[in-house]
Amino acid sequence: MTLLAISFDAFGQTDFWIAVGVLAGVYGIFTLGLQLNAGFTGIVNFGQAGFMAIGAYGMGILVFEAGWAFIPAMVGAMGCAIAAGLIIGLPSLRLRADYFAIATIAFAEIIRFTAQNLREVTGGNQGLRNFDDAWVDFADPIAETLADFGLSTSRPDLLPLLIVTWLVFIGLIFGMTRLQRTPWGRVVRAVREDEDAVRALGKNPFVYKLQSLSIAAGLGAISGYLLALQLIQLNPDSFQPLFTFLGYTILILGGLANYFGVAIGTIILWTVLEATRFLELPIPDEKIAAIRFMLVGLVLILVIRFRPQGIAGRREEMELG
Amino acid sequence: MAEAILSVRELSKRFGGIHAVARATLDVERGSVTALIGPNGAGKTSLFNVVTGFYRADAGEVRYEGESIFRKSAHSIARRGMVRTFQITKALAAMPVIDNMMLAAPNQPGERLTSLVLRPRAGRRREREVEERARDLLETFDLLKLADDYAATLSGGQRKLLELARALMVEPRFVLLDEPMAGINPTLGRRLLDHMHGLRERDGVTFLFIEHDMDVVMNHADRVIVMAQGAVIADGPPTEIRKDKRVIDAYLGGGGGES
Repeated sequence: MTLLAISFDAFGQTDFWIAVGVLAGVYGIFTLGLQLNAGFTGIVNFGQAGFMAIGAYGMGILVFEAGWAFIPAMVGAMGCAIAAGLIIGLPSLRLRADYFAIATIAFAEIIRFTAQNLREVTGGNQGLRNFDDAWVDFADPIAETLADFGLSTSRPDLLPLLIVTWLVFIGLIFGMTRLQRTPWGRVVRAVREDEDAVRALGKNPFVYKLQSLSIAAGLGAISGYLLALQLIQLNPDSFQPLFTFLGYTILILGGLANYFGVAIGTIILWTVLEATRFLELPIPDEKIAAIRFMLVGLVLILVIRFRPQGIAGRREEMELG
Repeated sequence: MAEAILSVRELSKRFGGIHAVARATLDVERGSVTALIGPNGAGKTSLFNVVTGFYRADAGEVRYEGESIFRKSAHSIARRGMVRTFQITKALAAMPVIDNMMLAAPNQPGERLTSLVLRPRAGRRREREVEERARDLLETFDLLKLADDYAATLSGGQRKLLELARALMVEPRFVLLDEPMAGINPTLGRRLLDHMHGLRERDGVTFLFIEHDMDVVMNHADRVIVMAQGAVIADGPPTEIRKDKRVIDAYLGGGGGES
């Protein structure tokens, strides 16, 4: 087991890569919601970062400001995110797809600016912290056990967080895949194909779109808790629309209409994004930072050129749809 | 005339200045095969869309099985057993044929999230019944060997058959077909008509179909309803309709009386 620790060290930045692994899992869970919406239901949700923010801030505020216990706070935050999904979906899911997409971006930005300006509750740009005592208490014994095997990080709860995040992520991948195979999942896919056909067969597409959005909001909330635990301090900048677009990058890399593809996509995205930090080039660091996103773009272009269905997507389904 | 399954009174639908449906009044007799004809732009498809809830009517009255369905939503009308097909088939292209069929089944608790959680067995049990019925229907329509293919890979005629078979999964009492014969070869077309008659005789299903082929209309319909400029201008058995002066003027044109 000491051998493993050495190989980790040889790789250089153990802590750094574990933190990246947590982010990959967090954005994987985040993207499962986008997969349900865009990949299976055919609704373009650009507001996932908003649901994530509600999950993260909801939990943080309920614990730190309202003094709730950790688990009830998570349940409460998820309730808020799902309620937000219903509130945003009820008026805007009746709109055409492109208008709906714009409405969701607006929603996510409203949430972010609210977090920035409602300083008494959210701490504004100073951030919100001290909501994770219960998590640290939970993670400590796990971290100690892992340390006995020679696995430790300078921030003790990081390795337990990696494990919890990926267990949750994998569990949700299987759960969502199973949901997709039910009659409910079949109606949702039919909504993606042709709403009028669904209507003509006696099902109300609106109800299914609304449920799809609410489930995505719930998944966004879960990713929000885990992101909050990774960051320790919540800051509105962590919920920029950019993160929703990173989610879509993951979705396209991994392939539409396949939940397992999300896991592949998130690993590729975060590896490319973070490994390029270590590029040794004879140019200033800030230029290397720009090159990182260019490389992500290049990978995306190559995937779309040579495997347009994504790594795990099905080509027939994409071409016929 | 026998009892009407569908009765439409003074139904109107406008798009801006255009009266797509202009005070249309008609009855469809229960258990009949009724044809709806009229020149292009007469408002036949618009009438279908208004009656089945795809367009919101401006004024008038629509009763199905004695109950008002005026301005009811399309899905709730379909659920009552009045199901339509589309002029341009709406096969769910990226779904297998069997899923197209099973989707249409009514009373599937597995389509509700609450039932999936609270009584998962009920959904699975219903799913087995639904699959059996779907396979039976596909067999009847000679599509069973294509059950696992994507609907997009079917030919135009096969898609028309699939759409009718899928509509039957809803267990309808009244089926509205929008140009069922358009763009399909005569063999498949004949088979489709045979199915229509079979269903009417065996299950008492009522049919209303829009059709341009006069031979089909004259040979297969019990009654013919003629529309022009959004209104119903004539209504009667095919033998009378072909002699009707107004119909000849509006639709069959100059020498059309011979058709």
